[in-house]
Amino acid sequence: MLELTGITKRFGGVVALDGVDFTLLSGELHALLGENGAGKSTLINLIAGTYGWTEGSCRIDGQTVSALTPQKSRDAGVAAVFQEFSLVPDLTVEENLFLGREIKGRLFLNRRAMRARAEERFRDIGFHVELDSKIETLTRAQKQMVEIAKGMLSDAKILILDEPTASLTDGEAEKLFAAIAGLKARGVGIIYVSHRMAEIRRLADRVTVLRGGRKIDTVAIAAASDATLIEMMVGQPVERLYPSISQRPAEIVLATRGISVSGTVSDASIVVRAGEIVGLAGLVGCGRSELCRAVFGLERVTSGEIELHGAVVRAPAPHSMLRAGLCYYPADRGAEGLALSRPGRENVTMAALDDPRLSRGGLLKSWRERRAIAAPLKTLGLRPMAPERAASSFSGGNQQKLVLARGLMRPVSVHIFDEPTVGIDVGAKSEVYRLMKSLVENGAAILLSSSELPELVHLANRVHVMREGRIVAELKADGITEASVLRHYFDAQTGATEAA
Amino acid sequence: MSDRPDMAAPVVLDRARPDIRQFASQAKLPGFVFLALLVLGLLDPRIVSSGNLWNIAIQTSYLALFAMAQTMVLLTRGFDLSLGFTVSLVSVISAMVMTGSGDMPILWGIVAGLGVGLLIGGLNGFLIAGVGINPLVTTLGMANIVMALASTVSGGFPVPGVPEAFTDALAEGRLIGIPVPILFAALCFALLFLVLRFTVFGRGLYLIGANPRAAKAAGVRTGRVVAIDYVVCSLLAAIGAMLLTARTGSGEPNLGGNLTLESIAAAVVGGVRLSGGEGGVTAALLGALFITIISNAMNLMQVDGYLQQVLLGLIILASLILGRDHKKR
Repeated sequence: MLELTGITKRFGGVVALDGVDFTLLSGELHALLGENGAGKSTLINLIAGTYGWTEGSCRIDGQTVSALTPQKSRDAGVAAVFQEFSLVPDLTVEENLFLGREIKGRLFLNRRAMRARAEERFRDIGFHVELDSKIETLTRAQKQMVEIAKGMLSDAKILILDEPTASLTDGEAEKLFAAIAGLKARGVGIIYVSHRMAEIRRLADRVTVLRGGRKIDTVAIAAASDATLIEMMVGQPVERLYPSISQRPAEIVLATRGISVSGTVSDASIVVRAGEIVGLAGLVGCGRSELCRAVFGLERVTSGEIELHGAVVRAPAPHSMLRAGLCYYPADRGAEGLALSRPGRENVTMAALDDPRLSRGGLLKSWRERRAIAAPLKTLGLRPMAPERAASSFSGGNQQKLVLARGLMRPVSVHIFDEPTVGIDVGAKSEVYRLMKSLVENGAAILLSSSELPELVHLANRVHVMREGRIVAELKADGITEASVLRHYFDAQTGATEAA
Repeated sequence: MSDRPDMAAPVVLDRARPDIRQFASQAKLPGFVFLALLVLGLLDPRIVSSGNLWNIAIQTSYLALFAMAQTMVLLTRGFDLSLGFTVSLVSVISAMVMTGSGDMPILWGIVAGLGVGLLIGGLNGFLIAGVGINPLVTTLGMANIVMALASTVSGGFPVPGVPEAFTDALAEGRLIGIPVPILFAALCFALLFLVLRFTVFGRGLYLIGANPRAAKAAGVRTGRVVAIDYVVCSLLAAIGAMLLTARTGSGEPNLGGNLTLESIAAAVVGGVRLSGGEGGVTAALLGALFITIISNAMNLMQVDGYLQQVLLGLIILASLILGRDHKKR
């Protein structure tokens, strides 16, 4: 139903897509795989009509289309759901669905018709949401569903989903998958962008792998192993995504003693030793993130003690913790990690402005700043290596590198990673893991809070599992398996400690 | 499947271009200013006479000081709505101290004026950064308090008789041929320019303006930086207030009435973003120059005072709209 041939897109001097062929069949889920910057977003944006292509041709339902605009694309039956929601927070679900295309009666809006149509759409995707609730009161999963319903409102035949599960919990994602199955059964063709291999394996019929703006191949999912797909994405055989790290736990550098944060963490005690990675596992909302933030001074500790390098920290605050050699890398890059409108360089140095290498007596050593960031950014492999560009112009994985680079700008002995690989591609992930390896093997301590179980299983020396704000288990070495960790997510009866 | 190793990342060819574009957008306002002068000069040659050009330069220096003060807080997503009335209060208090008895009245007058600025800025900073009240509300409340104080202290009348030594030095005086107000504005400009570009404090202002949460999480001492920022803003306002007092020769309780709006206008016209994190004192200076030229020309052409206010408002709105488009691109 959709056929792109030899599509090329240039932005000024940058070739974003280079002669890409792509087809979509009715009732098919066609996944797009590729690292950040591979051209996935460009491709879906072209199909959605956000911008035109430079060369190539496009046929929809056998009709040749010379150029697409958002309007033409919608008329041709394309609906796109991007990562950034297009919903107005203080309008209701129904109002959002029909925003700009209200069904009108003779004089007033035809509310009854709109209500009926909305209910029908939600029934179609098998999801229930109160039509009168305001968008701002919904969970992310519900918003996602509203976006999809909105996309389907005009009987779309082609649905584009851009990382729809990026911030959904597993249960929420299940609902989305069920809805997707329903759409496929009705003959809707779906273009699906995701970094999650398991998800793609489960949902997709065919996969197209892009790299550096070129199409590497289109394969039936059943015919390709994960290793092959990753190899196609990264361009070289991935021996293993997770490096083998030699953990040599030494003295305790960070300890929390029964710390509580109002409403989120209660009585949590953990220790982290130099030379090891300690994992924090648990469902989203279990208090993992808050515990990390409390240690860094971003949440108020209501009781308990934090000990860093053997000394009790009286009033933890980011600036003093950094000075004491503890760095926290925020989970949400856009909200808390980066000053997006500022150059990459300023984002890299912003956690080390008081370091003698960068300033003296409050005066910046500007001439040194550019040189000082060169080595850390080279280590992390920032792409493109253009630190004077605004942070917002980098892809997700490279934005994360800008965040992580701050830990290399000053002496840091304790690194707290909060969801370090959310929404970044495989290549960037492996670079993050390599960074952790080199940090730990050079004697640093790492606390890693993550929703990705494989990450914890492969990287951590010990794992603390949290549930409802409490530490419910500590797993060690060989005792860390996805199954053993998962058991503690839900089961209150299991023993507190499983030794290796 | 291809095995060419050079496909990892798109090639970056446009590295040099943003600089040219940036330069072009930065050069736009000076171009506008020049164009305005040219067109107005053709309409009325008096505008480009050397006497009037000096006049414009002097008038600009006052507004530039206030626009720079306002810019400092706009950078952090803040506002100082009390700026205008701070000018009034500083004017009244410093004039009263100068006209009173005692040793070295001028010195003590200046000290008192700066003290008032320090106090107002300190209070604003404490309430905004320490207590966490919204800058708009805080400085609006402060504006009311300060306005009332200025009227009460002076009884609502100008405080006449400011020492001639003071007015001679700060209003009429020249150093190496340059009028003192211009020197003050230039000095403050240079200082702030360096502060914004080459100090940890200045960098902090931009980071806070771009994303206060990220700045905090990266160890920027946001509370301290913002508090100091409001003190800097009010001190600059106090300096400008005393220069103006020297010019009028009396402490004026109504001196600053329009300055809050005009300072914001100049900054915004110059390209300082109300959403924080973008702009600088160069923008404030150019904006002040632009607005001064327009009002000067309108005065010479005897445009009605109210109509002038309407045009000023339109210029602000136009620059906000143009600035928004620029960002979208």
